[in-house]
Amino acid sequence: MNAPALLARIADAHARIAPRLAGGPAWARRRRGALERLLSRGLPERRDENWKYLDHARLAAYPLDAPAPAGAAPPALPPLPLAGLRRVTLVDGRFDAALSDPAGDGVQVQDLGALLARDPGAALALLREPAEDADDRYALLADAFAAGGALIRVAADARPASPWCLTHLASAGAPAAHHSRLVIELGARATLVLIERFATAGAAATFGNLAAEVSLGPEATLVHLRLHGHGPAAAQVETWVVRQAVRSRYEQSLFATGGAILRSDLRLALAGEAAECRLLGLFVADGERQVDLHTRVTHEAAATRTEQECRGIAGDRGRGAFNGRIVVQPAARGADASQSSRNLLLAPLAEINARPQLEIHVDDVRCRHGATVGSLDEQQLFYLQSRGIDAAASRALLTFAFCSDLIARLPVPGLRPTVAAGVAAALPDRALLTGLA
Amino acid sequence: MSAAAVILDVKDLCVQAGGRRILDGLSLTVRAGEVHAIMGPNGSGKSTLTGVLAGRPGLGVVGGSAVYRGRDLLAMAPEERAREGLFLAFQYPVEIPGVNNVYLLKASLNALRRHRGLPELDAFEFLNLVRDRLAAMQMDEALLNRGVNEGFSGGEKKRNEVLQMSLLEPTLALLDETDSGLDIDALKVVAAGVNALRGPGRAIVLVTHYQRLLGHVVPDHVHVLAGGRIVKSGGRELALELEARGYDWLRAGNAA
Repeated sequence: MNAPALLARIADAHARIAPRLAGGPAWARRRRGALERLLSRGLPERRDENWKYLDHARLAAYPLDAPAPAGAAPPALPPLPLAGLRRVTLVDGRFDAALSDPAGDGVQVQDLGALLARDPGAALALLREPAEDADDRYALLADAFAAGGALIRVAADARPASPWCLTHLASAGAPAAHHSRLVIELGARATLVLIERFATAGAAATFGNLAAEVSLGPEATLVHLRLHGHGPAAAQVETWVVRQAVRSRYEQSLFATGGAILRSDLRLALAGEAAECRLLGLFVADGERQVDLHTRVTHEAAATRTEQECRGIAGDRGRGAFNGRIVVQPAARGADASQSSRNLLLAPLAEINARPQLEIHVDDVRCRHGATVGSLDEQQLFYLQSRGIDAAASRALLTFAFCSDLIARLPVPGLRPTVAAGVAAALPDRALLTGLA
Repeated sequence: MSAAAVILDVKDLCVQAGGRRILDGLSLTVRAGEVHAIMGPNGSGKSTLTGVLAGRPGLGVVGGSAVYRGRDLLAMAPEERAREGLFLAFQYPVEIPGVNNVYLLKASLNALRRHRGLPELDAFEFLNLVRDRLAAMQMDEALLNRGVNEGFSGGEKKRNEVLQMSLLEPTLALLDETDSGLDIDALKVVAAGVNALRGPGRAIVLVTHYQRLLGHVVPDHVHVLAGGRIVKSGGRELALELEARGYDWLRAGNAA
């Protein structure tokens, strides 16, 4: 059980914040229900199976209070070099109409906070109630403080001409917590390219908690690029639940290169026949950063496919974890799953825990997995040095090289230079990599 | 004897690796303008010799010395040796996916130029230079934009080594079995690259198992390495004799 002080802080913050939130009695009841479940079960702890490697005490030290009322300017992010990009922006977890573009091209965007106030019943039906297990406890916390977020809906057969960018901004001011909800729905045969960015004003010690749900209709495709570039003191926890219908495709590329703590949970169900997902991830845990990536993919139907590749780098006192479970259920005949986790440890006090796991309940499947944790290759280092490149620059070059093919596989080519620069800037020897990316 | 400056002076060099003595009192003097061939059977220590001179990790020097242009070579970091003009063409060039071949060529050339107080080449000057050398090596320009040696055939890797060498214009080039695994056309191209480097200010050490490269790059001196030391030295005719009689001839007691 959590320290009583933490639970008392949650209850206390709830008592102060909840009365100010929209949604009428229906939402007051829902939030109270979530709070009570949370207080009786507590937040996850080290002894919970999937929460071993996270520094819970460090996370618990973050504030639970809501941000100061708006007024502080949100941080500005350099624009992405993509023509026609459409924006959806959440500032401190709330939809910001001024920083969002109107609907169009078959894409509809709604302010969940406004929906909560206007039609509490519809909002109740829309937002998933978190489950009982420890992995959904932060989603429960988001439910207890539910204030808003965004709904992104793509109509059947719509193929927006340009990508959408969803930006999560944490404004400056007192350290604060922001909980947000996100619902993404793609109709049958719809296609969307969604780029997600995170930014924090200055070095604010904000705590972001995102609970998101994605549903892909038959033959829909979501290309999802996730650029986790938080400010240096920010913590982010996120819980994603994805459900895929027949022959749909979900393609995620996640780059975790910022923030103090990132805990990312993805639960993905390949529910329809021949649904496929590709999950590419890269984390750089330098300094004191902690990155904890958990995925659980369930093959529920025949001929479903998973391709997962996660790379991790830890330097200094950084800590990284990759825990990827793939479950192939009895109905998933002809399923194909591959999973690989390659990791690079660059300093004696750095730590990486990689646990790929396959759980197969049917014979007729093709599954492969592997995990490695190693250091830079001595022969490659010597080769570069023998060409006049000094040892530190050679190490920096090889560390960047470890990331570069994942960058080269980004499905939006125009973003590769931006992502490469972001990765290079996060690496331990970043000063030596100028002019490379 | 020759009055040309000594480029490399190795004396009684003893090297250990993996708990085994591999070089055992090797001595070799190389002067400016000379081409030396070092021949020897497998396991005689040829790659250890080039490796220790270039600074390969994992080789322990337990005795002797190596002086390069008046400086203690063994005290220098590998990159410093390279910047001072020493070049090793690897027997097995390392594949480095994710590091662009042309990036490495440029970074390497500019590191050497900076060290010599020369201005760095800009992108345009560099590309002109590299295209010129690429044509001489009869290499496909597409190889420039691949990862270093990534997916290169054996012959392409060897040509890439000689390409790097021709760009960096070393004072002392060590070629470790650069001829092995090459067909006759590739061998001629590689030999032409080596011959182009020959000059009064430079020296070349060719390490080879067979004499076939020596038909194209005629050495001034030939040495036979066996059991970790040089057991016989001579002129070009020694290579021919070895080719005709095999290394067993030396083992049979003619090592004098």
